[in-house]
Amino acid sequence: MTRSRHVGTERPRPDAADKLAGKAHYIHDIAVQGMLYGRIRFSDHAHARIARIDTSLAESVPGVRAVITGQTTPEIRFGLLRDNVALKKDRVRQFRDEVAAVAATSPEAAARAVELIEVEYEPLPAVFTPDEALAEGAALVHETDHAGRSRSSNLLPLSCRHLTGDIAAATAASRYIVEGTYTVPRIQQACMGTSGCLAEFSPEGNLTITAKTQIPFLAQRDFNRALEALGLTNRNSRVIVPAIGGAFGTGLDTHAYEFIAILLAWKTGRPVKIVYDRREEFSCLSPRQEARIRVCQGCDDRGRLTFRDVEVIQDNGAYTSWGATYPNVMLVTATSLYRVPAVRFDSRIVYTNNTYCQAMRGYGNPEVTWAIESNLDELAAAAGMDPIAMRLLNANEPGDLSPMGLKFDSCALRECLDAVATSLRTSSSPPAGQTRVRGTGMAGLINVGGGGKIYRSDGSGIILKLDDYGNVNVAYGGVEMGQGLHSALTIMVADALGVRPERVFINQTDTATCPWDVGTHASRGAFMAGNAAVLAATKLRERLFALAERVYADEVERNIARIGQSERIEAFDFRAARAADFDLRDGYLAPRQAPDEAWYRIELGRLLRAAHFAERDPAIFTEEAFYEPPTQLPDWERGYGNMSASYGFGAQGVEVEVDTETGEVRILRLVAVSDIGRVLNPATLKGQMYGGIAQGVGYALFEEVQTERGRILNPGFTDYKVASAADLDFPIELRFVETNDPHGPFGAKGAGELALAPTAPAIANAIYNAVGVRVRDLPITPEKVLRALSETSRR
Amino acid sequence: MRYSYHRPASLDEASDMAAALPNARFIQGGTDLMVRIGQGRERPGHLISLRRIGELTTIDANREIRIGAGATLSDTLAHPDIRRRLPALAQSLAALGSRQVRNMGTIGGNLCNASPAADTAPPLLVYDARVEIRNGRAIRCLPLAEFLLGPGKTALQAGEILVAIVVPDPPEGTGSAFIRRGRVTMDLAIASVAASVRLNGGASIAIRVAAGAVAPTPRRLTAAEAVATPTDDWSRAAIAAREQIEPITDLRASAEYRRHLTGILVRRALTMAAAASGQWSIDR
Repeated sequence: MTRSRHVGTERPRPDAADKLAGKAHYIHDIAVQGMLYGRIRFSDHAHARIARIDTSLAESVPGVRAVITGQTTPEIRFGLLRDNVALKKDRVRQFRDEVAAVAATSPEAAARAVELIEVEYEPLPAVFTPDEALAEGAALVHETDHAGRSRSSNLLPLSCRHLTGDIAAATAASRYIVEGTYTVPRIQQACMGTSGCLAEFSPEGNLTITAKTQIPFLAQRDFNRALEALGLTNRNSRVIVPAIGGAFGTGLDTHAYEFIAILLAWKTGRPVKIVYDRREEFSCLSPRQEARIRVCQGCDDRGRLTFRDVEVIQDNGAYTSWGATYPNVMLVTATSLYRVPAVRFDSRIVYTNNTYCQAMRGYGNPEVTWAIESNLDELAAAAGMDPIAMRLLNANEPGDLSPMGLKFDSCALRECLDAVATSLRTSSSPPAGQTRVRGTGMAGLINVGGGGKIYRSDGSGIILKLDDYGNVNVAYGGVEMGQGLHSALTIMVADALGVRPERVFINQTDTATCPWDVGTHASRGAFMAGNAAVLAATKLRERLFALAERVYADEVERNIARIGQSERIEAFDFRAARAADFDLRDGYLAPRQAPDEAWYRIELGRLLRAAHFAERDPAIFTEEAFYEPPTQLPDWERGYGNMSASYGFGAQGVEVEVDTETGEVRILRLVAVSDIGRVLNPATLKGQMYGGIAQGVGYALFEEVQTERGRILNPGFTDYKVASAADLDFPIELRFVETNDPHGPFGAKGAGELALAPTAPAIANAIYNAVGVRVRDLPITPEKVLRALSETSRR
Repeated sequence: MRYSYHRPASLDEASDMAAALPNARFIQGGTDLMVRIGQGRERPGHLISLRRIGELTTIDANREIRIGAGATLSDTLAHPDIRRRLPALAQSLAALGSRQVRNMGTIGGNLCNASPAADTAPPLLVYDARVEIRNGRAIRCLPLAEFLLGPGKTALQAGEILVAIVVPDPPEGTGSAFIRRGRVTMDLAIASVAASVRLNGGASIAIRVAAGAVAPTPRRLTAAEAVATPTDDWSRAAIAAREQIEPITDLRASAEYRRHLTGILVRRALTMAAAASGQWSIDR
């Protein structure tokens, strides 16, 4: 690896120009010859038996090429627990269940036909909260599991727990103890680009599917299983990823609409595209889980944490996605944010007839950080301690091995907390009017920063292909979904190899051309891609320098012939140059001891052509590498294992102004200080931070998927509010404590998710600091603040 | 979403089209109507655009201020006479939607949409605005309060076109203000209040209060006006306002919170209006 020339510099992202010019091809932009438009008929009930489906009217609509139901197509089973099927045959378990689908020559015909499908239901008793679902005699959402074995409760067969130390003894030995229950609502990922796919079969029965996914290779496995269900054995699915307008976890699973597009394409023999409209995106795609988290923490008389007890109950909805494994990631923060000698963690995930939920940015961490960091502030108040001092006293340190077995080879939590505290101490102007009160609050965080092993392999492959002109084509199986992966990867390839970033071209993600990657999630994209790139680039450099030994002297002679003689040439004996003498920098091969002399510099393309067209041993240069991080798949029953190669840390502080008459909370300023290792590209990193903070503010103050007996009431941006630029009208101070992580490419750690983890508790803590009331239920609406204020004044 | 789109060049042509075409709707900026069409909540066969009709977009500021119904929200907001003479209306326009919505949406459209939360309605009610309606070749006028009949319902009959909003110039010494609250900056109002105040040494001469999003239509709060006085810090006005509204619970807020909030906003709007009147200082 060379010294970093581009890593750490602010560079525009390689995908920016296309996106700004409207030239990026999102799924919405893609059309192929003969393509049909698919549309899905969704359930009208939260739980019901399907008595009858009549598709005859729909079939008579001009332009309709196929109408399918669960009765007329092979069953395609999918989902983490394989508890979901593409088209429901006899029963619906949530409002968005797919009961039929249409393929037609126009979107309008498909929409009309879908409305004309007649479905008769016999409603069944339903459960809408984990408490209802776990009550004696509750209706079962699934009476059997995927293999037909009968089920006796709505509890999911997924467990994730942890125990370190003796909680009872630690409780008894604690000077102060505070317990609280903290809740989080379902929220929507609210991607700008809605979901969709285009499925097309070759005459041989091989599938090509262009899909908005974060997991092209796991999706390939799922789609291949679907082909088998169709009787298409020994066939393959090729997954191509289009430009993506935000995914935030929605692409972490395969979806019924993708299997339905496959069924329709198979049935009609034509390419079929399904794209969700905004209403479908809100009401038929899985949001982030609703959860209730009980936290109890204790400390000694000096404020040192003595124990932490965390219990999570999560509303899964009707089917199971990867999102059901949030507790696996919650474990990281529950066991390892701050030094805690005794920890107990337990989690339950419960089927209900609500919309089923899935992954979203942070994957359990914003939820558990909300609970623990709110509770920690309450503990500090009980102990009469400054909450900042309490956090500093308990901060993790580099070299720590946490109760979960996490190894912190780099850790600047203390520096982050300190920097936030210093920033918050600077005073701002006094509030306008007597009804407005100001306060400050903060929260810390830990987040996986070197992958997150929850699957058998957490690896990533890469191929670097050099052409005759010195260009580097990169085939990487991870997904650019707006986060800036291609920006980070471009500069890391450039620096790892020694070329200019303009010479690096990243291919479209395609399972046919890219090597395997587990998926783009867990803040792992840049970390994995960079490590793989460094491995492959190192191999390429070794081969290039070995080649140079053979051809270098001739090429320098040619330089001399062109440029002319100079006595300075003799300073370096180029005829005797060995592989170890060379360096590649900015796309030029040159001796390390005379890197800038024109006579000695050979442009990379020239070197490659010399190798390609050599009479003896001609060669071209492509290298691949597979990086598997040095991590463990944890034992979830014990909640133990170092699931990430490195960990990001950080803290956020906010100053708020609370209007005591209306309960409104206004953020005056926010400071976020993060340890994400080395900064790769400050521009894209800041984008990640601002975006995460915007989501954190929405989570804290107003985002909520509202439901009534399983039906989503606000399926659109009129009624579901995300933070817009106008709502972020306060200064955001971003700072980075640059540790140099030994496992990170160029010392970098993952940075994709951590920004939104501490925002909500920092805001809640600031509200408490301002007006002395504690809201434990997100979002913190003006009504909740006002109610808490009036309860406090009544007391 | 299949409809024919028509672009008449004059009001006469537009009226004739409306009379001749079945299931026709007039359209201006489309910021509300196109959303409803997209959601399938409205399925017109014909859209008659009024955007080419120049006389609808003019704003005349003489003894009265006459705002063409087709003036965009942006153009209305940018008009110096509106900013100076009708500050509460300007404040409501500045708070309405996004810049993009304000560039497309029109003041007439905001009223014809007849949302209970229409932002321009409370200030126009406070200013005693009336509307000019074109019926075929005839013109009729109505006080704004009689134009707004219920959610999505106005006094417009089939084929009638709202042509202008006419606002009498507020008397010298009048202060006015508008406040709204949503969950976020760009949201339908949870509650909005406009107030205007003219005082004489602490005694009220003329007080107007109107609220939006807390009743089936934006409405004047006459009971609050009757008891409003700066000497009690507008407290009785706030209490009376809470009695005169009929808020509902919806996705944005509970009825209880809307009732509470309206009282607070009435007091604040009156305080701001009084301060703006230049004859009363909030500092006292």
